[in-house]
Amino acid sequence: MSKLVLKNVARRYGTVEAVADFSLELVPGEFVSLLGPSGCGKTTTLRMIAGFVPPSTGTIAMDGQQISSPSSVLPPEKRRMSMIFQSYAIWPNMTVGENVGFGLQVRRLSRGEIDRKVDAILDVVQMRNLKGRYPAELSGGQQQRVALARAIVVEPEVLLLDEPLSNLDANLREEMRFEIRRLHDEFKITTVYVTHDQSEAMVTSDRIVVMNKGRIEQIDAPHILYARPKSRFVAGFIGRTNFLEGSRQGSEVRFDGFSAAASGLEGANGTGGLLYSLRPQAIGLATQKPNGGHLAVEAEIAGRSYLGEYWDYQVKPLGAAKPLRVSTGPNAVFEIGSRVWLEIDPSAMVRVE
Amino acid sequence: MTVAAPALATPETRRAISFDSTWLIWIAIIAVLLFLVVSPFIYLVVTSFTAEKTGGFTFANYLAAYGRARYVDALLNSLKLGAAAAALAGVFAIPLAWAVARTDMPGRGLTRMLVLMTFITPPYTGAVAWILLAGPNAGWLNRFFMLVTGAEAGPFNIYSFSGLALVIALYSFPYIFIFTTAALELVSSEMEDAANILGAGAWRTMRRVTLPLALPAILGGLIICFLEAIALFGSPAMIAIPARFNVVTTQLFQFFGNPVRVEVAAAYAMPLLGVTILLILIQRLMTRRKGFVALTGKGGDRRAIRLGPWRWAMFGYAMLVAALAVFLPYLFLIQAAFAKAWGRGFGLENISLRNFHFVLFEHATAAKSVLNSFLYAGVSATAVVILTLGVAYIVTRRLVPFGGILGFLCIAPFVIPGVVLAIGFYAAYAPPPLALYGTALILILAFTTRFLPIGYVNASAAIRSLNPEMEEAVRVLGGSRLTALRRVVAPLLKRSLLGAWLLIFIPATRELSAAIFLYGPNTKVASVMIFDMSEEGNFEYLAALALILQVLTLPLLWIGQKALGRDFMLRRNAT
Amino acid sequence: MKGLAGLAIAAVLAFAPVAHADIKALEEGAKKEGELTWYVAHYTSEGAEDLGRGFTEMYGVKVNVVRTTAQVAYQRLLQDLKNNQTICDVFSSTDVGHYVRLATEGRFEKYVPETENKILPTFRNFDPAGFYHTTSAGLVVLTYNSTKVKAEEAPKKWQDLLDIKWKGKVSTGHPGFSGYVGTWVLTMKNLYGWSYFDNLEKNKPQIGRSINDTVTALNAGERQVAAGADGSTLFSASRGNPLAVSYPTDGSVLIIAPSAIMKGTKHSNAARLFMEYLYSIEAAKINAKHFAIPLRPEVPSPPGAKPISEIKTIRPTVADIDKGIPEVIEQWRDTFGN
Repeated sequence: MSKLVLKNVARRYGTVEAVADFSLELVPGEFVSLLGPSGCGKTTTLRMIAGFVPPSTGTIAMDGQQISSPSSVLPPEKRRMSMIFQSYAIWPNMTVGENVGFGLQVRRLSRGEIDRKVDAILDVVQMRNLKGRYPAELSGGQQQRVALARAIVVEPEVLLLDEPLSNLDANLREEMRFEIRRLHDEFKITTVYVTHDQSEAMVTSDRIVVMNKGRIEQIDAPHILYARPKSRFVAGFIGRTNFLEGSRQGSEVRFDGFSAAASGLEGANGTGGLLYSLRPQAIGLATQKPNGGHLAVEAEIAGRSYLGEYWDYQVKPLGAAKPLRVSTGPNAVFEIGSRVWLEIDPSAMVRVE
Repeated sequence: MTVAAPALATPETRRAISFDSTWLIWIAIIAVLLFLVVSPFIYLVVTSFTAEKTGGFTFANYLAAYGRARYVDALLNSLKLGAAAAALAGVFAIPLAWAVARTDMPGRGLTRMLVLMTFITPPYTGAVAWILLAGPNAGWLNRFFMLVTGAEAGPFNIYSFSGLALVIALYSFPYIFIFTTAALELVSSEMEDAANILGAGAWRTMRRVTLPLALPAILGGLIICFLEAIALFGSPAMIAIPARFNVVTTQLFQFFGNPVRVEVAAAYAMPLLGVTILLILIQRLMTRRKGFVALTGKGGDRRAIRLGPWRWAMFGYAMLVAALAVFLPYLFLIQAAFAKAWGRGFGLENISLRNFHFVLFEHATAAKSVLNSFLYAGVSATAVVILTLGVAYIVTRRLVPFGGILGFLCIAPFVIPGVVLAIGFYAAYAPPPLALYGTALILILAFTTRFLPIGYVNASAAIRSLNPEMEEAVRVLGGSRLTALRRVVAPLLKRSLLGAWLLIFIPATRELSAAIFLYGPNTKVASVMIFDMSEEGNFEYLAALALILQVLTLPLLWIGQKALGRDFMLRRNAT
Repeated sequence: MKGLAGLAIAAVLAFAPVAHADIKALEEGAKKEGELTWYVAHYTSEGAEDLGRGFTEMYGVKVNVVRTTAQVAYQRLLQDLKNNQTICDVFSSTDVGHYVRLATEGRFEKYVPETENKILPTFRNFDPAGFYHTTSAGLVVLTYNSTKVKAEEAPKKWQDLLDIKWKGKVSTGHPGFSGYVGTWVLTMKNLYGWSYFDNLEKNKPQIGRSINDTVTALNAGERQVAAGADGSTLFSASRGNPLAVSYPTDGSVLIIAPSAIMKGTKHSNAARLFMEYLYSIEAAKINAKHFAIPLRPEVPSPPGAKPISEIKTIRPTVADIDKGIPEVIEQWRDTFGN
């Protein structure tokens, strides 16, 4: 049975549709991210799951029992979920121990039981020695750990995270991503994670829901999302990509500066405009014309940037209007203006809408 | 490990409960606010059109209220008095505010402290002190003048229009000071630097940049001062009667006289109400205009403007104002309080504790009146803080539709002068069925209404400073809204609520304008007691009682400053 | 004196009044009631507080002394009545008109003190119907600051106050507040017409509220001459203040100030006991201490005060006061501006 089911959920504010026709099912223990730019409706969706916002249409059910509909909303405190907020919302008037123990207190556990559980969870997040501190005495990362501990210690049915890492600096953010995933692997709590940072979503999630303007663009596992984006938006939002516009001419599809056999291209027989996404990493770069079944296109280096881990080249096929972006290893050095060959695997070209 | 979790309630049962309780709270609060704010107001208007004998509709009250030249003169006197007092207060306040906020004048902290002392001096206490200082023949200033010059008479006469305007200005200029410093502290030096670098000199910068930025706030302060002056009862009653002219408030008090003509009083109160509403609207429009940093801007870095040798001149001016408002008045109040007869001067043989003994132990009601003041002020301040906290919470968190109405009702009493409010309360609740006449409750209710705006402004600022996620974190972990309020909101707002409480409590212990119409023989408060004593010219007892009241306030100020910082009473939301 | 003598005769001739009570029983009842509220305009604050405290010491019954000017006390009482509240138990005003009106409206409880026959005959049986009784008497006289004004220069008759030499130096109370002042204004109007006050206005008097305000004004040297009360002036003089009294040759204004028990009082025993107390020797002594005329013959007149028999007194009739004081208050406001 599904743990959490959102069925055709929508939320309108006046005439503005913040979330439209959102459907999603989570299996128990699954970690799903809602990913999208700010204003895409991901936080509203999360707050509907939490019960802070009633849906305008549609229903939300947990363990088969309806918890939200336009006419009735089970209040947040009755949902047995927990949530980590963007601001952490650590209560400054309580110590670390009191913060973490709060949910257990509300659940009327005995003192000893509370102490035991709080100590155990603080060990997990490596904060046991700071139990008596007040939040004002903690660093951002430590506060984040308290928020995690506080949310997990009550063993919620569903854990909700609202951009929990956005206030941390880059290094800490990377560390906390793995921490969150580690905790998930340890406790197997069904989790919904809201973020606008694709790498955060990819590191932590089993599946990612990409949202744009209140709508779902695509729901898939991270590697599929990257390799097989279904829409121009997803392809552009997850990683960098080249968009290639083509037109069918006989058995070929004509692109800017080169053509490819229609038979080798995904969906080239379909109707409508032909738009393909091609990742910079999927293009090879060589001084000699490559052999093999892949497409070879002669081109010129129009610009380049060195980013340490890789080169980012702008390469213009001869006769093309716009350059393509190509990533190579740090050792593949080409001078600006030099002639090169592009090696393109047509199967890496993904047709998007 | 497993956590015993409450079973999921079905949404249907929850829905009914939550729907009802939210609405019940809304209805309860609106009922309280209707009772406190709307009903006295409606009674006031209705009463002004009610015939005293028959209870029928009539315009006769208006004819009676404006039918005599004397009554109309009193209205005009009030307007003139308000304008004169506000202008004079501006002369005191604006240079001081600028010097304290923006310059390197020495003694800025001291100046602020003295302004605070002025602020917590009830206007009627100041009026009494000035009677001692500038009585036309016996006033100390005149005596000193005669001693020095050998003249037959002194130049000062407190019993005059200008005397009254001076006394009112001296004890209302802190309002302008507060508004102006608040505005000037938001003008960053960078804005002035920008003008300097484009070639404007210090004076031009002041005139073209600094002053215009602060102007709306200054005008706002002047308006508040004007309104204070026309709504004041104590000082005019003590000074205008011997000076032989009437103002609106003293005339209103006469309508409460023999025979009691509440209906005429209500009709007569209307212009006061109208002027107040109009001016408050103007003030709001002015300070809300966009483009002024005065209310919304963020101050950048500020450097003190160097005054050079002028800093001492400025300091001298500050001390002059302080001398008029604090040093001289308190010196002679203290002298009178410890004197056998104040006119006999400072000799040792004139010193005695008799006045304090009489006031505290011999007088049947003086000591009790101080207790009453503190009790009623305490209950009112508590009621206001709880009520406005609830309303501010509901409004800020948008818990109910039309929450804005609740907020509006809390702010509305700001436009009702104390005297007018009292007449409304009298008309509404003194007679049966509630028959609150002469009870402590009617005073407490009136104080509560009177100070709702201060409470609301503070409570909603406090709530807005609180991230809602703090409460959501409680709820998502299974705590109810009430748990969130109790465990998180209340502890976090403790300090600001204490501040709001003091900001209400301190002025409530001094309130006279409303109390004078609503007190009963057994519910006399200290302000009324002091006013009564002035009736007989018992300045020695009066000074003793006034000093007792001031001294009792000092620990509260200390607590407030400990909890909230030195300037907690001189901030914008204090007014 | 004639009027008073007439009253005295009336008292002797009057039937034994109703509602006499056993003092012991009153004491018992009063103790149970525990307190009473007394609206009083008769004395200075100190005098009133002293009398209240004296009662408490004698009987252990608390007195809430509400001392204010006559018109303010009356205003307060009217408001009480209008709101159907009985807060005041004993009402002591200096404006006799108040009693006439309140008695007509049936606001008083009839009670004739047991001890009335022990006070000076002059003051007995002021109201033949037995609702209100003289509890205080005083005079409005000319008063002056004795360091600034020599006795021979002091005004001798009321019209001397109009002399231009007192310009800016005269002090009075306000008839809109004080019953003493109201009665004085009415008497002056009867004697000399309202032009007396038109002329007084030219001397720019300082107008306080209570008649006792004049004491403060003279003491402080703020003013030099006044129409003041003999009692409070002499009391202040006895404390070393530079004050003196000049009995006007055209007559000191005699104020007979009564007290009455309010109908519906919740402390009727205490109120009756208090009326008895006001006629006691103890109360008379307190009065004498504060230079008010003691009602009991056993208590000598305060030192320095002329015995009342040696003073020429004038006073308006009760009916005149009832009708006249509200009129002169309005006239006063028109003339003096407030």
